[in-house]
Amino acid sequence: MKSQRPRVPLIPAAIACVLAMSPAVIPVFAEDIVVTDHENRQVVLTAPAERVVTIPMPMASGVIALSGGADTLVGLNPLSLTAIREGILGKIFPDALNISDAVTGTDFVPNVEALAEVNPDLVIQWGGRGPEIVDPLVNAGLTTLLIKYGTEELTREYMTMVATAIGKPERIDALVAWRDRVQQEIAAKTAGIAEADRPSVLYLGRSLSDITAAGNKGQYSSWYIELAGGKNAAAELDGSVSINREQIAQWDPEVILLNSFEPELDVSWVYDDPILSLTKAAQNRRVYKMPLGGYRWDPPSQESPLTWMWLAELLHPDLFNYDLRAEMTAAYKTLYNYELTDEDIDGIIWTAQQGTGLGYDQFAVN
Amino acid sequence: MASRRWTRTALAFTLFLAALAISIVVSLCVGRYSVSALRALEILGTAIMQPGRVVETMDERIVLLVRAPRVIIAAMSGAALATAGVALQGVFRNPLVSPEVLGISQGAAFGGALAITMGIWGVPLLLAVFVAGFLALILVGLLARIDGRTEIITVILSGMVIGSLFSAFVSLLQFIADPNSSLPAIVYWLMGSFATATWDRVLVSAPGLLAGMGLLWALRFRLNVLSLDDSEARSLGAHPDLERWLVFALVALIVGCQVAVSGIVGWVGLVIPHAARLIVGYDHRRLLPATAVLGAAFMVTIDTLARTVTAAEIPLGVLTAIVGAPVFAALLRRHYREREAK
Repeated sequence: MKSQRPRVPLIPAAIACVLAMSPAVIPVFAEDIVVTDHENRQVVLTAPAERVVTIPMPMASGVIALSGGADTLVGLNPLSLTAIREGILGKIFPDALNISDAVTGTDFVPNVEALAEVNPDLVIQWGGRGPEIVDPLVNAGLTTLLIKYGTEELTREYMTMVATAIGKPERIDALVAWRDRVQQEIAAKTAGIAEADRPSVLYLGRSLSDITAAGNKGQYSSWYIELAGGKNAAAELDGSVSINREQIAQWDPEVILLNSFEPELDVSWVYDDPILSLTKAAQNRRVYKMPLGGYRWDPPSQESPLTWMWLAELLHPDLFNYDLRAEMTAAYKTLYNYELTDEDIDGIIWTAQQGTGLGYDQFAVN
Repeated sequence: MASRRWTRTALAFTLFLAALAISIVVSLCVGRYSVSALRALEILGTAIMQPGRVVETMDERIVLLVRAPRVIIAAMSGAALATAGVALQGVFRNPLVSPEVLGISQGAAFGGALAITMGIWGVPLLLAVFVAGFLALILVGLLARIDGRTEIITVILSGMVIGSLFSAFVSLLQFIADPNSSLPAIVYWLMGSFATATWDRVLVSAPGLLAGMGLLWALRFRLNVLSLDDSEARSLGAHPDLERWLVFALVALIVGCQVAVSGIVGWVGLVIPHAARLIVGYDHRRLLPATAVLGAAFMVTIDTLARTVTAAEIPLGVLTAIVGAPVFAALLRRHYREREAK
C-alpha cells in the first residue's frame, strides 16, 4: 500500500538499485494501481484507495463526485468543509459535514497525528509548493499524490489520477468527455467573435477589505473569461494582486464577477459604491457573484463546465442556447446522483440576490 | 546668531510648505484614472466654491471622493506620526525611538486583526484598534511602574515586552485566519494602505489626529524641559513622570487613529523627525511644526507613488521602508560625521 518510505535500509536499497536497472523485473504486481502524479512521482497502491484525505481545497468535493458519495473522503481542508457547509453538498451528503478537518491547517501543513488517526490509504496534497508540506506525509509513510492547479489540462489530469487511484476509472471518462464537449462547443461559438464585440470582464478574487484582480498569467478565471467570449479587463496585471477603485474606473469593465469565497459579499457592494456604481458593468446591471454549488464555481472543479455555460450565457445570450437549469440538473444527477429542486438551483446561482441582473431572467424557472 | 537661526527656520518652513502644497496638488491630479490636471483643479475649484454640490460624473467622483479624502488622510497621518515621533524622541532623549517602541502600534495592530478575524468592519474596527492600542500602553505603564516610580529604561523594556506579546497575538490570529478571506485582509491591512480612504474615515480619524498634534504642540515647552535630565527638569518645576505619560497617551491617540484608518505605516515617525531636526534644530517650538509639515508632504508623496506607479497598489509599509531606511542610514552617517568633526 505504501509508495514511499522515509528511510530505505542500505542492503535492500542496493538490491532495488540492481533490480531497477533491468526494467523487466520492476516489482509492480499486475493488480497494483500505479499513478504518475504532477511531480512525476510513481504512486503505487495495491488496491483502490478506500480512505482518501484531500488537502487542496477543490479536491474534496471532487473525490465525493468521483467516488459517488461521501464515504471515501475521510479527511479534508477546513476550507473545503466551509464550502460544503455553505453550499449544497452538505444537504446532498449530510455525512460530509462530519468528515475530519483536523488533518491539515488552512496553510496546507499536514497534521500527521490527525492523519494517522483517520488512517488514509491515500493523501492528496499540493505539488509545486515546496517540500515542507509534502515531507511530513512521506516521512509518516503515507501514500501521497501530488497535484498541480491552474489550467484546464491540469484539472483533467488530476481528476483522472484520483479516479484511477480510487478505482473508479469508468467515472472519469464521462466527466472528461463532458468537459471536452462543452469546452469545444463554447470555443467554436466564441472563436469568431471580433475583439470589439468581446465584453471586458473583471473578476475580483477579493473585495471586502482589499480588492484583488487577476491578470492573464496562469489564472483559471482569465482562461474561462476568454473561453466564454470575453476579454480580461485586468489582463495587464501579473498574477493576482491588490488594486484600487480608481483602477477599476479606468478599466471600466462591462461585466464584473465577484468571488464566491466571501459569504457577506453580494452585488450591492458594487451597486452601492460611489465609484464602482458608475462603471459600465454597474450601469448595465452586469455584476454577478460566482455561484456556489457542489464547490465554488470560480476555481476549477468537477462542475467547471457549468461555470463556462453560465458565463457564456451572460456574456453572449444571443449566441448560446444552454438551458442552464436542465444542464445543472443533469450534471448533479451524474456527479452526485441528486435531483436538484428549483430552490436548490436558485440558491446555487444566487437568484434572490442577483436575479434582476441583465440576462439573469434566462435562468429563471420557466 | 538667534536671528540667523530664525531666518533659516523661516526659509525651511517656506520650503516645507511649498513641498506640501506641491505634493497635494500633484496627488490630486495624478492617478490610474485619467483626469487631466487642469480638469482635476477645475473640479476642486468648483467643489470649494460650491460646497455641498452633488457630484455626478466619474472624474468628479474620482477627484473628490477617492483622491481628496485619501490625500487628506495621508497628510494628517504623516504629520501626526512624525509629530508623535518627535515627542517620543524628546521625552526619551533618544533619537531612535518611535511609536513601535512603546508597543502601541503592535497593540493597535492586534485590535484590528482581531476585528477582521471576527468579521467586524467600519467604525467598530476603528474602536477595536483604538482600545487595543491604549490597552498596550496601559500594560506598559503598569509593567514599568516599580515602587511608584517609572524609569525610562523600564518603559522601553516594558514596551518591547508588550509589543512582542501583541505581535505574537497577531501571528496567532494570522495562523487561524481563513486564507480565502480574512488572512489576506489582515496581511494587507498590516502592510498599511490609504486605499480605503473615504470622507467618513477622514471624519473618524481627524479629531484624534488633530487633537493629538495640537496637544503635543501645546506641550512644546514641556517637551523642551523633558529633553533635559529628570533632576534638571524637576528643578525647572516639571513633573517628568506625569508629563511623560501625558505624551505617551497622546502618541497612543495618534497611532490608534492612524492605524485604524490605514493600517500600520512604519518609518515616518523615525525618519522625518531626524530630517527636520537637521534643518531647524532641537527646539520643539520650531521642530514640532516643521516635522508635521515635512511628514505630511512625505506621506502624500509616498502614497501618490503607491497608487500610481503600477496598476497594482504597492503596500505603503514597503515604500516607506524602501525610502525611509536608506535616508535614515544616510542621516545617521552624516550625524556622526558632524559630531566627530566638532
